[in-house]
Amino acid sequence: MKGKKLLALLLAVLMLATVFVFAGCSNTKKEDTSDAQQTEETGDAESGEEAAAGEDTSLADVQAKGEIILGLDDSFPPMGFRNDDNEIVGFDIDLAKAVADKLGVTLCVQPISWDAKEMELNSGNIDMIWNGMSYSEERDEAMNLSEPYLNNDMVFVVANGSPIASLEDIKGKTVAVQNGSTAQDILEASDLAADITVVGFKDNMTALLDMEAQGCDAVFMDKVVANYTISANGKDYQVLEEGLSPEVYVIGFRKGDQALRDAVQQALHELKEDGTVAEISTQWFGSDVTIIE
Amino acid sequence: MESLFATIDAAYMSKLLVILLQGVLTSLRIFAITLVIAVPLGFLVSFAKKSKYKIVSVPINIYILIMRGTPLLLQILIVYFGPYYVFRLSYDRFAAIIIAFVLNYAAYFAEIFRGGIESMPVGQYEAAGALGFTKAQTFFRIILPQVVKRILPASANEVITLVKDTALAQTIGVAELFALSSKQASFKTSVIPLFVAGIFYFVLNWIVTAAFAYFEKKLDYYK
Amino acid sequence: MAVLSVKNIKKAFGSNVVLTDISFDVDAGEVVAIIGPSGSGKSTILRCINQLETIDGGQITLLDDNMIAGTSPDGKPIYSPPQVLRKMRLNIGLVFQNFNLFPHFSVMRNVTEAPIHVLKMPKEQAVEEAKDLLAKMGLSEKHDSYPYQLSGGQQQRVSIARALALHPEVLFFDEPTSALDPELTGEILKVIRALAQEKRTMVIVTHEMAFARDVADRVIFMDQGVIVEQGDPKEVINHPKEERTKLFLKRYSEDN
Repeated sequence: MKGKKLLALLLAVLMLATVFVFAGCSNTKKEDTSDAQQTEETGDAESGEEAAAGEDTSLADVQAKGEIILGLDDSFPPMGFRNDDNEIVGFDIDLAKAVADKLGVTLCVQPISWDAKEMELNSGNIDMIWNGMSYSEERDEAMNLSEPYLNNDMVFVVANGSPIASLEDIKGKTVAVQNGSTAQDILEASDLAADITVVGFKDNMTALLDMEAQGCDAVFMDKVVANYTISANGKDYQVLEEGLSPEVYVIGFRKGDQALRDAVQQALHELKEDGTVAEISTQWFGSDVTIIE
Repeated sequence: MESLFATIDAAYMSKLLVILLQGVLTSLRIFAITLVIAVPLGFLVSFAKKSKYKIVSVPINIYILIMRGTPLLLQILIVYFGPYYVFRLSYDRFAAIIIAFVLNYAAYFAEIFRGGIESMPVGQYEAAGALGFTKAQTFFRIILPQVVKRILPASANEVITLVKDTALAQTIGVAELFALSSKQASFKTSVIPLFVAGIFYFVLNWIVTAAFAYFEKKLDYYK
Repeated sequence: MAVLSVKNIKKAFGSNVVLTDISFDVDAGEVVAIIGPSGSGKSTILRCINQLETIDGGQITLLDDNMIAGTSPDGKPIYSPPQVLRKMRLNIGLVFQNFNLFPHFSVMRNVTEAPIHVLKMPKEQAVEEAKDLLAKMGLSEKHDSYPYQLSGGQQQRVSIARALALHPEVLFFDEPTSALDPELTGEILKVIRALAQEKRTMVIVTHEMAFARDVADRVIFMDQGVIVEQGDPKEVINHPKEERTKLFLKRYSEDN
């Protein structure tokens, strides 16, 4: 009997913990929509090609609820990741905060599974994907993308002392990538594809660990991330000089959310003008490496 | 291997423990709420499955078949994203995790309970009936206590699996123990956070195992 | 005066007819033994009277209560309201072949559970009565034991005490000794004999011929779902009239 009571007490405590310790992005999409519609009825009716599918209330929605939800895979240093205080930080996060300030809303950061990012976006659980996301035609099809804001190369990372020194050496080897990344798409579409074995992991870290454990010979990943990992964690890796097609990072919005996308783009432009972008970039990369116009 | 342990020092370790304890709390919340709802629901489902009305038993059979026949990972995705595609309704991801876990685990518990109830000798029902116990009295006083003893080992398996399955919550971005540890592993490019998470899971399941051993011993007074 | 009256009972499991047309009465204080080969339907009749099986036709009356209230248009019997059935059930104590004790209850609780929760008897009274019953069964030392700690004979004595605890009008025994080792049957037969001397109304399904002859006031011989012969035990067992009875008793004495 005593045991049962103890168990019941334990469960009760856990249940209480659930009620009180729950925090996160608001997810009251339904209410927001009705609010937004009211705002919109009284105000502007700016709509372009989306008119047939209903008016574009994306910006009004975000402003009405007072927050913009950024979805990210929070294991992507230095763009967006959890630091040793468990806070989600990164270049993208700082930049997004500055943009949110401009828009007069709070930035809310929502970790998601990278594989499910399109579903998260489409179902309205997040407002944008801003996470060192490389441009690709497929993504351009699936989302409403911003202008590129950062250059990125996709590079091969090998262990120090690896016999691999050039693209030619990669042939016949096993290369690890993150599932759902453009690294995966690029590699599989490249001329190398026929000559290599590609292994997908859920994040770059697992891919790198696989390389350390000699499960694969190289990891194909974003140069920005590779460089950060090597410098911040003192990793004994080499980045090959030769890479594959250079890339750019973009921000993804829902198809049809043109007003929100334009507002963010405009805010980025203004932040570039007033030097905020340079400041943030210098903090993370040592100089302004952005390509925002 | 040496580099796997690089950049982990005592100061970071203590920070890591704090972070992972937050993850443990989330995992335990998923665990406890699922258990508290799925166990009684599993009982109801096990009765519904045995219902003589086809309109009840057939859907319940299909439900159990689907829950046991498809990956929990997929069920989580459908429970969370499905309502949007059907009703344009998006909702809280923690709630989605609870719904998915409860639906899945209730199906498994239902089958365990059904096995336990069906293993009861008919003589127990007959003796109770002959003594004038009502159906409810028979179930709660005579059958259920014995069923509990019979299903304890199988339930322990299920509960231990539940502790580990909470790691699937990261699929829809719930920051449970495994998610937080892999973020830290990414941050440090090190497996240490994953190892530590493994220790946490191990300790949690050690407690679960000990709790079940305790209850089994408590019920050991009869055979 | 008949305490229990069984009239024209019919029972079939699917196409297998187990009881063809069974009728008999049991008077107050009478001990009736039902004998017959296995599959003769002798246990089924007890189970029908105790509502563990439904009947396909006929009437069972216990004191003033009828089990069957009427007949439906398709010829099936309509059972009386639950409260009547319940009352009838409580007036019968049933002792099973396999004891069917509740393994998770102590001996004491096996005996007191029904009086407390079915009869709503105060717990103290139930425990007092149980103590007396268990003492009568020679189990005073075993109050706190669990069924698995007892021998078969002891378990069967607990189950007799459990049946008696509800103060039934009639006590049924369904082959009470056939699950027991031969050396343990004696203790059960002794208990039943003592109950007979108290003038308890009892119906005993058994294949202990010597016991039936010594204890019963009347013996009913059943075969293939019908009552073949009944009467004074010594007459039926020592000088059977019917061929089938003779055959059965001959085989029985050869086997033993």
